[in-house]
Amino acid sequence: MLDSTLSELESRGVSLIDGAADAEALEAARVEFLGRKGALALIGKDMGKLAPEERAQAGKLLNAVKQNLEARYESRKAGFDLAALNSRLAAEWLDLTMPAPGTRPGALHPLTQIQRELEELFTSLGFAIVDGPEVETEWYNFDALNIPPTHPARDAQDTFWLSDGHLLRTHTSPVQVRAMEKFGAPLRIIAPGRVFRNEEVDASHEHTFYQLEGMMVDRDVSVAHMLYFMKSLLAAIFKRDVTVRLRPGFFPFVEPGFELDIQCLICGGTGCPVCKQSGWVELLPCGLVHPNVLRSGGIDPDQWGGFAFGLGLTRLVMMRYAIDDIRHLAAGDLRFLEQF
Amino acid sequence: MKFSYNWIRELVPGLEADPKGLMKLITMKTAECEGVEEYAPWLAAVCVAEVLSVEPIEGSHNVKAIVNAGPEYGARTVVCGAPNCRAGLLTAYVPPGITVSGGKHVRTAKIAGVESEGMLASGDELGINRDHAGILELSGAKPGDPVPDCAPDAVIEVDNKSLTHRPDLWGHHGMAREVSAITGIALKDPVDMGLIPATAGAWHVDIRDFELCPRYSALVFDNVKVGPSPLWLQERLEAVGLNPISNVVDVTNYIMAELAQPMHAFDADWLQGDTIIVRRAAEGEAFQALNGESYTLDPSNLVIADARGAVALAGVIGGAGSAINEGTTRIVLESANFKAANIRRTSSSQKLRTDASMRFEKAQDPANTVRALARAVALFQQVCPGIRVVGGLVDSFQAPAAPAPIQLPMEWLVRKLGRPIEAAEVRRILESLEFGVAEPRPGVFAVSVPTWRATKDITIKDDLLEEVGRMVGYANVPPVAPLQPVRRPWVNEERLFHHAVREQCAAQGFTETYNYSFISEEMARRFGLDPDAHIRVANPISSEQGLMRLSLLPGIHRNLVDNARFRGEFRLFELGNEIHPRAAGALPDEVPHLMAAVHTKGDGRAALLELKRLAECLLPGCEVRPAEARQFEHPARAAAVSWRGTELGRIFELHPSLVESGRGSVLDVDLGAVFRLGPQVKKYTPLRRFPSSEFDLSVVTGLRELCGDMQARILQAAGAACERVAFLYSYQGAPLPEDRQSLSFRVTVSASDHTLSNDELTGIRGGIIASLKAAGYELRG
Repeated sequence: MLDSTLSELESRGVSLIDGAADAEALEAARVEFLGRKGALALIGKDMGKLAPEERAQAGKLLNAVKQNLEARYESRKAGFDLAALNSRLAAEWLDLTMPAPGTRPGALHPLTQIQRELEELFTSLGFAIVDGPEVETEWYNFDALNIPPTHPARDAQDTFWLSDGHLLRTHTSPVQVRAMEKFGAPLRIIAPGRVFRNEEVDASHEHTFYQLEGMMVDRDVSVAHMLYFMKSLLAAIFKRDVTVRLRPGFFPFVEPGFELDIQCLICGGTGCPVCKQSGWVELLPCGLVHPNVLRSGGIDPDQWGGFAFGLGLTRLVMMRYAIDDIRHLAAGDLRFLEQF
Repeated sequence: MKFSYNWIRELVPGLEADPKGLMKLITMKTAECEGVEEYAPWLAAVCVAEVLSVEPIEGSHNVKAIVNAGPEYGARTVVCGAPNCRAGLLTAYVPPGITVSGGKHVRTAKIAGVESEGMLASGDELGINRDHAGILELSGAKPGDPVPDCAPDAVIEVDNKSLTHRPDLWGHHGMAREVSAITGIALKDPVDMGLIPATAGAWHVDIRDFELCPRYSALVFDNVKVGPSPLWLQERLEAVGLNPISNVVDVTNYIMAELAQPMHAFDADWLQGDTIIVRRAAEGEAFQALNGESYTLDPSNLVIADARGAVALAGVIGGAGSAINEGTTRIVLESANFKAANIRRTSSSQKLRTDASMRFEKAQDPANTVRALARAVALFQQVCPGIRVVGGLVDSFQAPAAPAPIQLPMEWLVRKLGRPIEAAEVRRILESLEFGVAEPRPGVFAVSVPTWRATKDITIKDDLLEEVGRMVGYANVPPVAPLQPVRRPWVNEERLFHHAVREQCAAQGFTETYNYSFISEEMARRFGLDPDAHIRVANPISSEQGLMRLSLLPGIHRNLVDNARFRGEFRLFELGNEIHPRAAGALPDEVPHLMAAVHTKGDGRAALLELKRLAECLLPGCEVRPAEARQFEHPARAAAVSWRGTELGRIFELHPSLVESGRGSVLDVDLGAVFRLGPQVKKYTPLRRFPSSEFDLSVVTGLRELCGDMQARILQAAGAACERVAFLYSYQGAPLPEDRQSLSFRVTVSASDHTLSNDELTGIRGGIIASLKAAGYELRG
């Protein structure tokens, strides 16, 4: 009797589970046959009424039916789950060509970037990075640098003079003297910063621009040492071999003085408007520190010597990015600034 | 300064380098050249032609000329408009296919109906002089010859700035000396001192101020016939940029360009008395210069005067009356030396720069005056036939003490150069530049400086190092790393801090701008700043840039307005110095500030909060509290930023009248003040071991009560167990009355030694509520 009931139950269960059209129908079948109050559970409860020898036999049979239905249920369930997951995932298709939300990082000014790069380079070479005031005294800007009162550089046409009798530094060189006063010898410093010249602004001239001053003072500093540092500097800046030439140049605060030219990166030395057809671009005035400048900084030129150089950061930025108009750098135009 | 290649080659005979090569030598060893240009290259093709016949062309002012242009070109027909075109004239013929001065291209063409095969040329067209009144009139040549004594040249332009320390290089002879030293080819001295008669001078000189005029030399000439110079002289002057005027004046200019000694010729018959007086000008003394201008002088100016008054502004320009003219027959030729600084001062105060003043400014050699006179005698004999020297040298000077020789130790020189060099090589180089070299002790040279380098150029051994170094060639100095102990450089903390601020701003979406340090008065007023509180630029480029900025705001405001033309929402920042005046004499206070700004089209709330977030990123835990708005600020949107108890910044929206394109919001932080507070000390607190509990509170407040205040009040009321009070949201609307809002907070509490019980939680919560109620606040459900 039980046998036939069970087998009928089993075949009905199999057909309902296997034939369930969806997860809901499957769940209904599970509740009907396998649930706590399902058909199999009810039969199990009734089995207590059977004789012990019959009970064992019937229990086996019931278990077999239960396992069969459970296995079928699990397999079907897994199938429905997978289908549900697949359909959810398919529905979650996302168009990643859509723009990402949120604010983008801003850009640092190209002059800031090049300053940082050079600061890192010179720090690694043992140079301290020092600052000096943008408003300077005549003494630091001229006298201390061996620029006599009659020198043309002092004319109003080059220098901005202020109502309080000071001036806007025309170069970063005053920092040489301030650094010597602060640190004494030996000394290795660079001083990047803003400088001013009283010039009309056009595509290639600015009244406000950036320089990087460098100076080393030690016991025996030679032209050969200076060349070593200039070469390291250029290799770091251009990250490629550049052909250089060193020729005499006159600056009152160095003796001897040099102009270091690099072969034009635009035309490769054959001549173009950027290098004024000469094939060379003036980049780095430098020289051995004039004894009078060492004296201004309180350093005895018989004991110490040094070299100094001045790098035009503004020009460097323009060369690196082939910027055709110097005015972009101070125009505050985001269309320009965001390119760096 | 322009240098004629032909001229240099005359002084360095046998020079092999071509003009480009010469330019390179000069650039690498002496001074920067800006370029080289061919001068009058067409002269290679131009030849002498004889006009055989001339016939008028009907209806034209031109004539048809048949010329004999020599064996190469033969007889040619040319149409010529010059009034002096006449049969028998020897002139210059330009064949077709040649381009002459001013880019004028000559070709075979019909002019006035007549086929013209080439052109007869004026001096102007050939670049020989500026005469365009007629075609050249030549003599002493035959058809087919090149134009006599004229030839194509090349002009090397040397950057004047690289010559400021070299008085001797303001003349061709000085540059030729360099070329001779570079190439090893002997230098020719164009001066024959024997030409100055050894008799007493025929004029007198009274120098009243030897400081300003260390030397005044002169020669008197008579039987002078003023006329045009020969063409070679005119072409040479033209090539180096000087204007040919007359034989007498041209000779003075020629010598100036050759020996760097400016000269001036006075019409002797015009001078009153027989004494040249060199004196300071009287206050207000009037002076008529030969350029047609009149000048008012003062005692800082030096004048050359006769018995009547000033006849020249010393070292700058001659006077109108005494100038050489067609009728001049007797001249006093001045060759003097003036103090550089004074010439410079006069030239700039009178706003008159001349070829003479430019040279005197560089400190010319007093020993050069007599050489120039000797050279003048030779040239006058060539270009002014019949001229006679009257008497001998007129010369007054106070000889300066000859400077002691410079001691130059070879060991020092090698150490400074950083490469070995033989003493013999050093001697050779110095002697090639005409330094005197003695060796009083082994290994130490005693070097005497030639007079033309001694005025200011060379005074110490370092100057000699440069002479040797440049002639050796710096390309021949191999780079060497110095052997120095490793030292950790001093760290510029403030600069690193500024870089960190920049990076943070960029990370938050702000792009960096650089603005000028200058602002206008109008800008200052617009932002509530008194123009008189600013330091002024005494010589600004324009009145728009007359004040040193006391705030970055004018620049940032301009950035906002400018960029708003292209976009609606953007962020930018600047890190720069405010320039604050200090007590008289002291340098101004340069205060580094950060100014960040957001431009939006919306209601502006998000922009202000974004700036607050930036402030919190830079100054963790900073306090932002409403502050009274300034005139340029939105009256209800201005706040002060404090950090660690110091007020050091501000957040505000610009007044809508200042930003018509949308809204501009600004964060301003005094980075100097931030840096002075020093780095924030980091302190570790042990992590709480027992779990925290949270509960929410909603407090009903007035509409403008500050969220921050309520948060602080709750924090205080919660006592020691409170970890934090976080704002959740605010609510306005039903069922609240219109003038009320509800602020909701989440309170997190815990104890360090046990888990809080429900009773404890209820107690804390009740305590807060009681405290709020006692202060008159209602709570919502």
